[in-house]
Order: sequence, then C-alpha cells, then structure tokens
Amino acid sequence: MTHVSIKSLTKTYPGAPKPALDRLSLEIPSGDLTALLGPSGCGKTTTMKMIAGLLDPTSGDVTFDGRSILRDKPEKRGVVMVFQNHLLFPYMTVADNVGFGLKMRKVAKPEIDARVAEMLALVQLPDLGRRRPSELSGGQQQRVALARALIVRPNVLLLDEPLSNLDAHLRFEMRDLIRALQRDMGITTIFVTHDQEEAVVLADRVALILDGSLCQYAPADVFYKRPADEAVARFFGGHNFIPGNSTAGTFHSTLPPLRLPDDARTGSGKLTFRPESVRIGAAPENTLTTRVIDRIYLGTQTRLRLSSGDNVIEAVLSPDLVEGLQPGADIEINLPRQSLWVLE
Amino acid sequence: MSDRMRIILLLAPAMLVIVVLFFGGLAVGLMRSFNYMPVIGLTQPNLDAYVAVFTSREFYYSFLLTFHISFTSTLISCVLAIGAALLLRRSFLGKSVLNFLFQLNLTVPHLVGAIGILYLFSQSGSFARLGYQWGLIAKPADFPALVFDPYAIGIILQYVWKEIPFIGVIVLANMQSIGTDYESVARSLGASRWQSFRHVLLPLIFPGVLSASVMVFAFTFGAYEIPAILGQNYPAALPVLAYRKYTDVDLAARPEAMAMAIVIAILSALLIWVYIRTSRRSIRG
Amino acid sequence: MHRDPLALRSFRVLTGAILIVWLVLPLVPLAIWSFARGWRFPDLLPREWSLKAWTYALSDTSGVLGSLGLTIFISVGATALSILVGVPAGRALGLYKFRGKQVVELMILAPVIVPGIAVALGIHSVFISLGLTNTVAGVMLVHLVPTLPYMVLVMAGIFANYDPAFEQQARSLGASPLQTLWHVTLPAILPGIIVGGLFAFLVSWSQYILTLLIGGGRVVTLPLLLFNFASSGRNDITGAIGMIYILPGILILLLTAKHLSGQNGAVGGFGKP
Repeated sequence: MTHVSIKSLTKTYPGAPKPALDRLSLEIPSGDLTALLGPSGCGKTTTMKMIAGLLDPTSGDVTFDGRSILRDKPEKRGVVMVFQNHLLFPYMTVADNVGFGLKMRKVAKPEIDARVAEMLALVQLPDLGRRRPSELSGGQQQRVALARALIVRPNVLLLDEPLSNLDAHLRFEMRDLIRALQRDMGITTIFVTHDQEEAVVLADRVALILDGSLCQYAPADVFYKRPADEAVARFFGGHNFIPGNSTAGTFHSTLPPLRLPDDARTGSGKLTFRPESVRIGAAPENTLTTRVIDRIYLGTQTRLRLSSGDNVIEAVLSPDLVEGLQPGADIEINLPRQSLWVLE
Repeated sequence: MSDRMRIILLLAPAMLVIVVLFFGGLAVGLMRSFNYMPVIGLTQPNLDAYVAVFTSREFYYSFLLTFHISFTSTLISCVLAIGAALLLRRSFLGKSVLNFLFQLNLTVPHLVGAIGILYLFSQSGSFARLGYQWGLIAKPADFPALVFDPYAIGIILQYVWKEIPFIGVIVLANMQSIGTDYESVARSLGASRWQSFRHVLLPLIFPGVLSASVMVFAFTFGAYEIPAILGQNYPAALPVLAYRKYTDVDLAARPEAMAMAIVIAILSALLIWVYIRTSRRSIRG
Repeated sequence: MHRDPLALRSFRVLTGAILIVWLVLPLVPLAIWSFARGWRFPDLLPREWSLKAWTYALSDTSGVLGSLGLTIFISVGATALSILVGVPAGRALGLYKFRGKQVVELMILAPVIVPGIAVALGIHSVFISLGLTNTVAGVMLVHLVPTLPYMVLVMAGIFANYDPAFEQQARSLGASPLQTLWHVTLPAILPGIIVGGLFAFLVSWSQYILTLLIGGGRVVTLPLLLFNFASSGRNDITGAIGMIYILPGILILLLTAKHLSGQNGAVGGFGKP
C-alpha cells in the first residue's frame, strides 16, 4: 500500500513556449484507483512517465509514502507502467512475457514458472502461455500486459488508456478484472485517459487536466453535478450556461427566478444544469415556458433545443416523451432544484 | 485488360533483364565451368575444372582467406555499427556531424576507401610517419605490415570503414521505428539499462542486423577491387584469383575461373537461404 | 528517459568524436596528396604544395575529363534504363498480390546478394558472341544488374502506399491514359523515382569489376583510371582523381540532405554494402 503524492510537478520540454504540465499537485490515497483525464496533449502521459521514471520533471516532486522517488532509477521505483498498445515483446511467448520482470530480478526458473501460471489463471488466460502475442486478440493481449505488470507486485500501477482499445462488451469485462485485481492486491493505481466515460466507469476519483493544469479532482459524479468551472462542465458535455446573479437561494437572470440548492454559491455567476436533468411539464417550482427551436432524434434519446427569451436551453429526453413535438410549439419544462449549480 | 495480363506486362521488362543478364550469366558460367559449350564445339560436360580447383592448394588458401575477411569484417562492423546506432539515437555534442558523415561515407565508392586505407596504413603511410615522428620506428620496414599482409588487416579495415555506416544506418532506422517504449516497459518491469538492451532491444533489431550482415558478408566475399588494391599476391582473395584465371593467357584456365565464380554464387545462395529461414522464424515470433 | 549519468554522457561524446575522426581519416591523405609536390617519408605533411596534379587531371591530355564524361554518361544511361524497367516492376510488386510473387521478388533481389563477379564471367561469354564486350553499350547494360534491384525495391515501396483509385478518378473525369500517367501517376511517384534513381546512379557510379570485365579495359571509367594511377604509384594524381570521383556523391547528398536527412535517409541509406 503506497500513498502517492505529487507536488507542483512541472515539465517544460526544451524549446516549448509553455509547460506541458504546469504545477500539478495531487494526493492519491493508498490503494485508490485514480484517473488522469484530459484531451490528448494535456500532459497526462507526461505525468505518468515522470512517475515511472521514464522522463525527468523540470521541477516539483513525487513522493511515495512521504519519500521522494525522483532520484531512483526507473527499475528501482516499484512502479510499473502498462502502455496503451500493450507492447508485448513479439519474439517471446506469452509466458516469457509475463515472467519477464521476475527474470530481470534473477528469480529462479521454477518459481517464475509457478508464478506465471498463477498469474495467467488470475487474468483468466490459463492455457495461453505457449502462444505468441501475435496470436492473441486485443483483449487477451491487454490481460497479458496486465499480468506482466502485476507479477512483479508493484507498489504503484500506471495504466495508459486501459480500456480504449477494447470494444464495448470487453470494456466492462476488463473494467471488472482491473478493479478486482487492484482491490485484491491493494495496488495504488493511476490511469490516464482522454475518454470521460472510461474515467467514470473505472476510477474512484478523477483528476481532470486541461492545458497542462489540474482543473478538478473529485469522485466521478461530482463532475456532472458540481463542476468546478465552465471548462470542466463543457468537457463533461454541459451545454447550458446562463449568466445572472445568485442571492438568497435564488438565481436571477433573463429567465424567471429559479430556486437553487443550499450549497450553491452566491454572487454573480453562470447557472448550469445537465441537458438530461430537464423535465417536461410544470412543477411546484422552477417551471419555465419555452419554445421548441429544433429536435434531433438520436435513437435512444432525443435532443431538444428550446428558447426562453434570448436564452437557448438544451435538453436530452426520452423520445416517447416528446413524440410529435414540432419546432415552434410551446412547451412547459421544469428544472429540479438539486440539478442546478452556479459557476463563477 | 485482366489484372493477370497487366502484372505480366509490368513485370516483363525487369524479368527479361534479370533472367537474361543475371540468371543467363549464371547459367553460362555454370555450363562453362563444366566445359560444356556446344556453340564452340564442347559437347561433353566434365568436372575437370572443379577437380583442378578443388585439388589446388591455392584455392583453399584463397577460400579461407576470403572467408576470414568476410567473417571478421562483418562481425566487427556489426558490433561497432550497433554501438554507433545506439549513440546516434541519443542527442550529444557532434551528433549532426556524425550523422552527416554516415551519409557521406555511404556515397564514397569502396575503391576510394581502399586507396585511403593504403595511404594511411602502408609502411610509408601516415601512421608509419607518425610512428617515426614519435620515435617508435626508425624506418618504414619497422612499421607492422597492415596492408598486403597475410591477415588482410588493411582489407578488413577498409570494409569496417565502409560498413559501419551501412549497417549503422539500417539498424538506426530499425531502432527509430521500434521506438523506446519497449525498453521503457522493460525498465519499468525492473530491467537494468543493460538488461533492457540485451533482452529487449537486441532481439527486436536482430532481423535488421541479420539482413544487413548477409548483404555485407556476400558483398565482401565477392568484391574484387578492394583486395586487389590492399591484398597480398598469394594467396589472393577468391574474386581476385577468379579474375586472374579468367584473364590468364592460357584460355584453358577459364573454366576454372567459372568454377570459382560458381563457388561464390553458391555461397551467396546459401546465405540467402539461411537468411530467409531465420527471418521467417523471427517473423513467426 | 531518466537523465543519464555524466560518465555515460562523456563516454558518448568521446566515442562520437572517435567515430567522426575514423570516418574522415581515409579521405585526408587522398586530399593532401592531390596538393602535394612529392611527400616523402617521414614528413607528416608535404614540404611543398602544388596544383600540378589538379592541372594535369583537368588538362585535355590526361583523359580524366573524358573519362568523367564517359562515367557520367554510363551511369545516367544505366539509371534511365533502370527507371524505365524498374518502375513498372515496382508497380506490379507494390500494388498487386499474385501467385509466385515471392519467387519474383527473390529473383529481382538476388543480384543484391550474389556478387557481380559470380555472374560477370558468364555474361562476358555471352556478350562476346553478341559483340557487346568492350563497348559502352555493353557496360551500360551490365550495370543494370546491380542497379535494377534497388530501383524496383524503392518503387515497390512507393506503390505499396499508392492508391490507384486516383487514376480511375482521373479517367472518370475525362483524362486519357497518357494524361493520367502524366498528371496523376507521375507526380505521385516522382519522389520515389528520384530517390531510386539516385541510388541507381551511385551504384552504377561505383562499379569496378563489371566495367573492367565487360569493357575489357577499353571502356575506361573513372574508377578504372583511379585504380590504374593508384597501382602505378602516382599518388598525387590518384588523390586528385579520387577527389573528383567522390564529388557527385557529395553533391547528391547535399542536394538531397533535406529529403534524406534523419529517418528517411536511414531507410535505404544508399543501399549498397
């Protein structure tokens, strides 16, 4: 069990005008599964390589249980990184791949064989030891890469886009496998991804990094309900931002006054709510009359654009609720109080 | 036009050139080595030329010498070229100069390199002069024989000079397409710098090194002008011996020359075979 | 990567320096000799400098310039022939899958491995009966053997990344086959033709034994001249001819430095061992 602490970690590549990663600080509790989320080029892979010792930071520190590891060689850190494209050594068998780390530590051959067999059983590939990596499917390669990393019992496991090369049904299988193994072995795990769904599905906590700096670090659901700012909300698919003023639990804007949840901030700001939290029909509070601008059928959902005064509101609703609704029609909607949030 | 027809038409000119010139040349050489040449009235093939070649002491000396030259040059060039490629993969002071010289060296014909080595390492060459200035030798004859010598050191030096960039460039391209991620994985799994080179990078570049080595070995085994400039008279490298036999005033020696040419061809065919086998195996994984 | 220790970094600079010296070294005495008036043992540098060797080499009487012209003519001719013959073959190998493809590839690549002397003796016998020995045409033709494989190899690589649908698009827009070739195919494969052509040129440029055998000593290209002067001990003139002989390679390198630098140049690296 290792508590990972990242302190003002900064990386500026030679010749680059601004840092690839700017003063990132994170506390990752022992045994936690944390996602570093951000668009490609936001500095998340840079962060991971610095933790793994494959890249030197420009400044800042990384400590494991309070001890700085930056001076340790990569092979001495107890950190294993699993790359997105698996990078199984193509000229070795699956078993040799899994046993690689033990061989490097000069563990005796019989013990390597025993632990490889045990590990392959754990990732549910017990009979594939003699195969070559090229003979495996993408999902199987991913498991082998995971087994190869876990066999050395790392203190910290780093995963690069662990689910992104897998198709939908394999994703959940792999998610469950990663979570189960990670829990059982109690390994502090950090993974990077550009895909918010991947982050939400897999992680205990998500660190959103935009443009090289940390925007918000919280459990996944917080990003939907209580985003830190507009950029975070937009990254998670938020569309509704209405400028106004929050006083005494009420939001005043060009919309009718709306009741806010108790923990909403006061002062001038932007009101935000998720498109999928919009409800059809009148309610005791926060009811608006809007006009339909257009309607886009998305299969399992329908996306509506509604106007209220100068404001445009996006709503995502179940198709049968809005069947037959034509552009130009007037419709009543309500915004449940708990779904509202005020941004700075 | 069908694809089949199109492919045949596209390939026809090149196949014509290769079949007539290359395989034709080989076939005629083979026939003449058996003393079989109906055009000039030789209709009874025999093995006289091969008997003459394989019972001559000179041939064996030549063969061994040539094999020694090829093997030693290929081995030394390979080791140094891998080192040079490792070096060129990193940034260091003078990297761009070295890169340019690698490319430059590839364009310089072997003959020029051979003459350069001659002027450097002969007994009155630049190094002998340095030896004299430093008081190590008193006269040219004191300088060790590095050209026209029995161990073919001058020839090997020339090949090493030319082939380090050749193999190095191939290996470097190989390394660059492999990238550093495999080594990163190895390092993060606990391999030391040396272990990740030995167990990961080396096996990954092996196919490239092998194909370059096969080309170098075959080239050095069949090259004429380098041993002709830098080699001793007896025993001479096999291609030099074959050329001498072919241009001998005694026309009867020609089939012997052809037989030696065939020996060189068979050896290179063998190399191709070994290469295909090994590369198939490594592709299979 | 983790920052390398100082010792390792200095080791790199040191070995880099040794390599640089080693790569230049053999060319140095050649260059010095070309400007030397006598350079006796044990002088490290000539006592007297002179342009005599260069004046001689560049005079009409020496035949060096004539030989230079002849060598250029043969290499350009051999290159043009390998482009004409090699581009279609590269197209067949790069674009199509067909039965026996591996055999065809092996046959076309065989001359890269099998040394020239192994086939040249046989070719000589054939060329005698065709009257091609001792002629420029014969030498040009025999240079196809080592140059063609490189041309085909480069073009097969180019065509493997080439989409023939562009040609069909051009045809459907009303272009004739010839117009399609000129306006669509050629521009797309031109970089390959240039690179392959330069390889072919340099391979032909450095041929010695094929020229000697087929040309029978009558077709005196620069390498033959260079060899003769080198073995007759005229070191100053050898130096001058040697410098002239490596010039085209250097020029080509400088002209293509941009295209061939870094990874691209490494791909084929002028291909010849």
